[in-house]
Amino acid sequence: MARSEAHEPRAVQITQEDVRRLCEFLYRRTGLSFADSKRYFIDRRLAERITVTQSASFQAYFAILRSDAEHEIEHLVNAFTVNETYFYREEHQLRCMTSSLLDNVVRGKKAGQPIRIWSIPCSTGEEPYSIAIWLMENWSQVDSYNIEIVGSDIDTRALKAAADGVYGDRALMRLSRQVIDRYFQAVAADKYRIDPGLRNSIQFTRANLVDAQDLARYRDFDIVFCRNVLIYFDDASRRMAAENLYDCLRPGGYICLGHSETMSRISPLFHVCRFSDAIVYQRPETDHDGN
Amino acid sequence: MPLVKRDPTAAPPPSQASQGDLASHIAALSAQDAGTRWSAARALGGRADAVPALAAALGAEQVARVREAIMTALMRIGDAASVVALLPYLRSQDAGLRAAAIEALQAMPEAILPFMTSLLGDGDSDVRILATELARNMPAAEATHLLCGLLEHEQHPNVCAAAVEVLAEVGTREAIPALEACAGRFVGTPFLPFAVSIAVARISDTES
Repeated sequence: MARSEAHEPRAVQITQEDVRRLCEFLYRRTGLSFADSKRYFIDRRLAERITVTQSASFQAYFAILRSDAEHEIEHLVNAFTVNETYFYREEHQLRCMTSSLLDNVVRGKKAGQPIRIWSIPCSTGEEPYSIAIWLMENWSQVDSYNIEIVGSDIDTRALKAAADGVYGDRALMRLSRQVIDRYFQAVAADKYRIDPGLRNSIQFTRANLVDAQDLARYRDFDIVFCRNVLIYFDDASRRMAAENLYDCLRPGGYICLGHSETMSRISPLFHVCRFSDAIVYQRPETDHDGN
Repeated sequence: MPLVKRDPTAAPPPSQASQGDLASHIAALSAQDAGTRWSAARALGGRADAVPALAAALGAEQVARVREAIMTALMRIGDAASVVALLPYLRSQDAGLRAAAIEALQAMPEAILPFMTSLLGDGDSDVRILATELARNMPAAEATHLLCGLLEHEQHPNVCAAAVEVLAEVGTREAIPALEACAGRFVGTPFLPFAVSIAVARISDTES
């Protein structure tokens, strides 16, 4: 995914009303919400984007943003959000998985049935490996079940990096020394390779979230991590992705979205589930198709 | 290690409606089983030749998730025929269906444009209110022109308020005279001059 370029912001006047207009648009379009106290944060990033797009004024920039020319919404969202991916990112969702979701998942399992977890998009692999490590470190029943973890992405270069499993210091910054020692081997200065056993336990595949045919073989997942991607899609693509995810989940299965995303703004197909650690979305146990 | 590696793509694709041709998908839209209808609607997304069948199915469909899939399919087609199929649902008594229709129509701003004058002049004020929302995703100049045209003659304060609220986001400086005239006509309805003052402030600030 494209990252914002480093440009020195130009002096374009940004008024309070400009900021309000921008914030309302962003909230309606993406669900991102900013308090008034974030004014400096917003001004700085907005000024950067105005400079990069060579807009003569906020009005000119806002027109580009509204038309989403050159994927400007994506660029602006990137400027406002943490793009860096790392191990144990949004740890509260991993905690929710082991403290709440899996209890419900295994309740419906017959003997020998695996637990199936999907990370899409998985980018360079930090998320599926994090899921695996978190389960082994934090779930007391981990040895009682077969667990299948699949990581998928549309970007084959990212998938190759995921399969290689080599990461820098920054990607490991949230992991304890003990966890690093247990699951990684130092391969160079500031470079660590994930344990071969773990690396070979996760399946990486290419898949396009908005292509129903592409996803036809992905079925019966118990938990899907689909974080920080729907926010970039247009309305039709978001709905298609939500319908695809519905089909990929087992009835009663869960979706974890990114912290700035909400399925309620995309599709009414899923139930909202509020757990102590996180809000997630659930495919209904039954489709209530008789109504 | 409890982790088991399995490649989902190694399995044969499931045999389902999505594997069929146009005629079989259309036939499946009226299947007894809702799951079959859902799959058929999803398979017909983007198929312009399926609009009449999707429109008919939308009118008859009772299951919410299948209706959603039909709406998504029509959004993906996004042509004038899709708009015609969705417009009747702006008058639905079912709020969820109305909201879904608005959401779908908003996603096709170019296709809805030729219908806007008629919608903004509809005899039903609720339809006019919903129509103002459709202008939100249009280019600023187009939305400003349409909504100012509405404001010039609109008598219902709630319709005006809806138009003012959209103009506050998308309006250009050309909207200011129509906004101020609207505030002047509704001095006895204080919330409207107040809303207009915010819209004008935003538009003026933005373009100064």
